[in-house]
Amino acid sequence: MKQDIKSWADKYESLTNGDETIGAMAKYYTCSFMFDMGECKVIIEMHDGKVKHINTDPGPLDAYDFALRASAATWREFAQPMPRPMFHGIWAASFREDLKIEGNHLVLMKNLRNFTVQFELLRRSGVPV
Amino acid sequence: MVKHSPVTGRYVTIDVDGKEYKVFYLHNGQGQPLICQHTAGCHNHQWRGLLEDDEITRNYNVIAYDLPRHGKSDPPHNTEWWKEEYKLTADHYCNFIVKLCDALELKEPIFMGSSFGGNVALQLALRRPDRFKAVIPVEAADYAPGFYLDWWRHPHANAAQVCGSGVWDLMAPQSPEMDRWLTWHYYTQGSEAFKGDLYFYSVDHDLRDELHNIQGRKCPVIMMTGTYDYLTPPEATENTARQIKGGVYIEMTDIGHFPMSENYDVFRVYLKEALRIIRERTD
Repeated sequence: MKQDIKSWADKYESLTNGDETIGAMAKYYTCSFMFDMGECKVIIEMHDGKVKHINTDPGPLDAYDFALRASAATWREFAQPMPRPMFHGIWAASFREDLKIEGNHLVLMKNLRNFTVQFELLRRSGVPV
Repeated sequence: MVKHSPVTGRYVTIDVDGKEYKVFYLHNGQGQPLICQHTAGCHNHQWRGLLEDDEITRNYNVIAYDLPRHGKSDPPHNTEWWKEEYKLTADHYCNFIVKLCDALELKEPIFMGSSFGGNVALQLALRRPDRFKAVIPVEAADYAPGFYLDWWRHPHANAAQVCGSGVWDLMAPQSPEMDRWLTWHYYTQGSEAFKGDLYFYSVDHDLRDELHNIQGRKCPVIMMTGTYDYLTPPEATENTARQIKGGVYIEMTDIGHFPMSENYDVFRVYLKEALRIIRERTD
């Protein structure tokens, strides 16, 4: 059953802020990114390893550093507790599936360790699509 | 009580194409030499599970070296290597491996490597079937474009973390968390060499028109790839093996691009099968 987007945002924020691996190297993990899940979009703003805000209804001029765009079906695969091959990470899905990484790639690369850990929290939070 | 590993390390100095390399290698075991190449931008600790595998080292002399510029093997001591960009070529890579095997006086070694080590295993099977008893290319293919990227040593990002986390999802989510983080840790140590290694992996290595020339019956080629490898997906390896005379393809379930390092317990099951096939074809 599809999750309410506000409930999902609360859960994802809580999981992120409580994650020990992110917490171990949280300082300077400051950036913003969009998850474009086809049926819905969110912008997540990070500050020193904590979620500052999750914008669950972004307008056309709301800014972010980089975006991950894929079909809702792909996001549902990302959120499986044990994802299938090629849906088990952003590089796998961008090489072999329909994930597109857009925007300022340098910001993503600067924050890759923590972003990778945070992205995998979707396996516990699920997705709102 | 202090616990010592049976694995020991040594250095050997060799000359390859005019470059003087002091090469570090780990070894354990006896019998048939089995020489192992780590993946690009990494070092020989990836083979730590195999090196301490009592069942295999009982009959195999396992040697895992650090390629120059990796781990404890320095860049060449007789050239100003810092004045030119490092780009590993197929010729130099193959010459290095043969020179090392000669220096260690390895008789009919089996060569095993993963990723760019797997691709060079194919090159060795093509170029020197007389020198190797067999090769085991792991996570390899005839051609592997797409990974020769500036991001691996971009001065505006933390290259160590880009390399460690950039290869994170080359591993399977089923692999033990400790082993995946150890592999991540190794990758943070090799960022200066990673891109140059990938020049061989994604650019200079291209055997698409050469596979039919590999004498897989003289030098058996046993290829193995994990189902979670997005870089060399199983179908790429299978397609390569199919074009080699006598080539064998083994698919490894629920494992990724660094099988020996990310989940040795799973990898060893497939490795034992590969070694069994080699014994069957060469004894």
